[in-house]
Amino acid sequence: MRQYIATRCLLAIPALLIATFIVFSLPRLLPGDVVTLMLEEKAYASDIDELRAKLGLNRALPVQYVQWIGSLARGDLGESLWTRRPVVQELVRRLPVSLTLGLMATVFAVLMALPVAILSATRQDTLADYAARSTAILGLSIPGFWLATLVIVLPVIWFGWSPAVRFTAFSANPWTYLAQFVIPALILGVASAAGIMRLTRGMLLEVLRQDYVRTASAKGLPAPRVVLKHALRNAILPVITILGIQLAQIVGGTVIIETIFGLPGMGRFLVDAILQRDYPVVQGVNLVIATVIVLSNLTVDCLYAVLDPRIRYQ
Amino acid sequence: MDACVPARSALSRRELLRAGGAVLTGMAASLGPSVARAQGPRRGGAFRVRGYDPPHFDPHAPGGISFKLHTLLSFTHSRLFKHKAGPAVPVGVFTPEPDLVESWTQPKPTVYEFKLKRGVRWHNKPPVNGRELVAEDVRYTFERFMTAKGHGNRFLMEPLDTVEVLDKYTVRFTLKEPYAWFIDVLAIPMACAIVAREAVEKFGDLRKAEACIGSGPFMLDSYEPNVKAILVRHPEYFVSGLPYVDRVEWYIDEDISSRTAAFLAGRYDFGPEFVSAVRWPDLDLIKQRKPNLVLHQFRNNVWSYLHMRADGPPFNDVRVRRALSMAVNRAAIVEATTGRKDIALVNPPVPAALVEWTIPLDQLGEARHYLEYDPKEARRLLAQAGLAAGFKTPLHSTPGYGTDFVDTIQNYQRQLKEVGVEGSIQLKEYGAYIATTYYGKYDGMGVGLYTPFHEPDNYLWGYHMPGSPRNQSYVNDGRVIELLREQRRTFDVKKRRELVFEAQRQLASQCYYVYGPSGMAMGAWEPQVKNFMTNLGYDYGGRMMAAWLDR
Repeated sequence: MRQYIATRCLLAIPALLIATFIVFSLPRLLPGDVVTLMLEEKAYASDIDELRAKLGLNRALPVQYVQWIGSLARGDLGESLWTRRPVVQELVRRLPVSLTLGLMATVFAVLMALPVAILSATRQDTLADYAARSTAILGLSIPGFWLATLVIVLPVIWFGWSPAVRFTAFSANPWTYLAQFVIPALILGVASAAGIMRLTRGMLLEVLRQDYVRTASAKGLPAPRVVLKHALRNAILPVITILGIQLAQIVGGTVIIETIFGLPGMGRFLVDAILQRDYPVVQGVNLVIATVIVLSNLTVDCLYAVLDPRIRYQ
Repeated sequence: MDACVPARSALSRRELLRAGGAVLTGMAASLGPSVARAQGPRRGGAFRVRGYDPPHFDPHAPGGISFKLHTLLSFTHSRLFKHKAGPAVPVGVFTPEPDLVESWTQPKPTVYEFKLKRGVRWHNKPPVNGRELVAEDVRYTFERFMTAKGHGNRFLMEPLDTVEVLDKYTVRFTLKEPYAWFIDVLAIPMACAIVAREAVEKFGDLRKAEACIGSGPFMLDSYEPNVKAILVRHPEYFVSGLPYVDRVEWYIDEDISSRTAAFLAGRYDFGPEFVSAVRWPDLDLIKQRKPNLVLHQFRNNVWSYLHMRADGPPFNDVRVRRALSMAVNRAAIVEATTGRKDIALVNPPVPAALVEWTIPLDQLGEARHYLEYDPKEARRLLAQAGLAAGFKTPLHSTPGYGTDFVDTIQNYQRQLKEVGVEGSIQLKEYGAYIATTYYGKYDGMGVGLYTPFHEPDNYLWGYHMPGSPRNQSYVNDGRVIELLREQRRTFDVKKRRELVFEAQRQLASQCYYVYGPSGMAMGAWEPQVKNFMTNLGYDYGGRMMAAWLDR
């Protein structure tokens, strides 16, 4: 297993390098002279040459890339053109918010999805199964922003109370910090849970029909053990893949939920940076998102090896 | 028009009990002397305000024109003049009064000499450390105002020539030509905050929150981007005893539902929309949940308009321009975004909200008709201009002003189509829109949103004078030029008003722009907030400075 994990880690390096190359190249491939537009709209420098120099655009592309990678290795993502603060400093403040939201949403999604999926698969075509599947389709159909709006507005109409949407930093009050993520994470988790539930149910149904499951039952093993230990473990691999992708999506793109619940995360930061044409920040945020995706996929690959001993590189 | 509107009480059991309690309290109060009234203003407490996230803190940098910045700076920075505020000031009236200025003279029509108040202290923060504010600070500020690269508000001081320090407390402003609105412009809260040189030198510019050092009634205590700003009382503020509250909690809340819910749940003291208003669709619910709320209806100066290339065909034909103006159903546009037709206001070239300077519609003469919805007449005028089959035109705009504005663009498009003008909507990202369409780089037509100015000159000169960067319709009308120049030279207010009215008549008749509608707005605040009245514009700090909390 060690060799498998080491190989996966090594393979992540070129993936990360390719990601850095894409993040570096895309702003430079935008149509039109973005630097001219930046200068006209935002006056980030006194003339176009100064702005090009500030962005490092006055050198050959390979040189720019090598210098950028060098800075990256030193933890330097440049300075925001808009706020004049180091990009890393801005990201350090926002990444934990998005990560907390993403992780909590994922945990809630799993906690909601797995029991329902198991129930649904083991009681196929019963009332419970139909109810669970219908609920899952409902969960997939309801947009998160609509659910969030209802959660905020309805209690205030009915009870004169609404969940607080004022951000508290972890350093100010760790408990309040975590508590403020519960509702947005539950809302984000609903849609994910619906997808996971349907996938798990499908996989579980397939596995439950396998000979080794029938054998386990025939040997007299209790049903919960058959399902949880023998069937679920084999059914869950594709689910873990989905979880990895969903975590990355949540970290990178929960602008609406962050706005509704007043959470200063990466999504809002990225949108603001795009609107301000703050390309060092756009690059920095994209790089973080790409890294989170690569790392979450790496984690998923490693989990495969833990869950399924058959998966090994020879 | 402006009137305090009592909130309608609902008769649920809980609210009936509450109302009964209020009656008993009122009876008890009537038995003895009115303690609350006798006590006068109270010190302490915190105002909880729905605020905005400033793009940065530098009023002279690109982006420094944002209302999100100046609403916040209105708490922290002083100006030479400010507008009178308080319950006695009707909404839409902007009377300048001295802020940092002690007294002033005007030895010539183009020269102003301002004597500053002595003992005005900057906030006690490094590197300024609470030193005294002097004439050199004023000179430095206006030099930076005029020279900072990319400063979007520079046009406001376009008539300014030089600023000289005569002595430690006296500063002389010399203008290129007489400008009767000069004091008014110095008072507007969207531009003329006095800044400290040391802060600029230490931080390179004023973008960082640490550089937010002023001499205003409140100091920026903390700022969390996208979350909140906390302002605390400036202990050495130069107006003795003010401000009354110790803190202002400025919560950044970009979502309509969550901020309305927060207001209903009692987490804000003032209406959560711009200038302490509430949204019309939420009003009934708000009245039910908060029957004791203070409500005040006023004319809003947030309004849209259509501009066009009047320097070429077909828009250089006045019949076409008049047809476009008459094709627009102003009440329907307001109804589409507010759900109410009865609050629509017809605006001549100076908005109805500027109650002292807008021309009453019955004084517009024949031009009054061009502001009325009359699609039949519009089609007749187009036919007369040889465009009976209508015409096609691009309709440039931006989604950057929000979803309500995008709805408005689509409404304009639909209404123009009804008279045969097919507008093809071309939306640009806000920054690109400002850099191009806003500054006249477009073809055909466009839909814009006016900056909410406090005096008529910026609406008239800014949008109708050849050479002005905001003359988006390429107006070049000899009579208008003459009137606009003359009103700037006329210091007698009554005579100037006549000139401003005459300019509005001429402009409304020529229809270089389609002056769109605005609506009435509803200001709202908790009954514990005393000595407060909302007003148009960014001066939140000026209005809240003398207000106090009775709880």
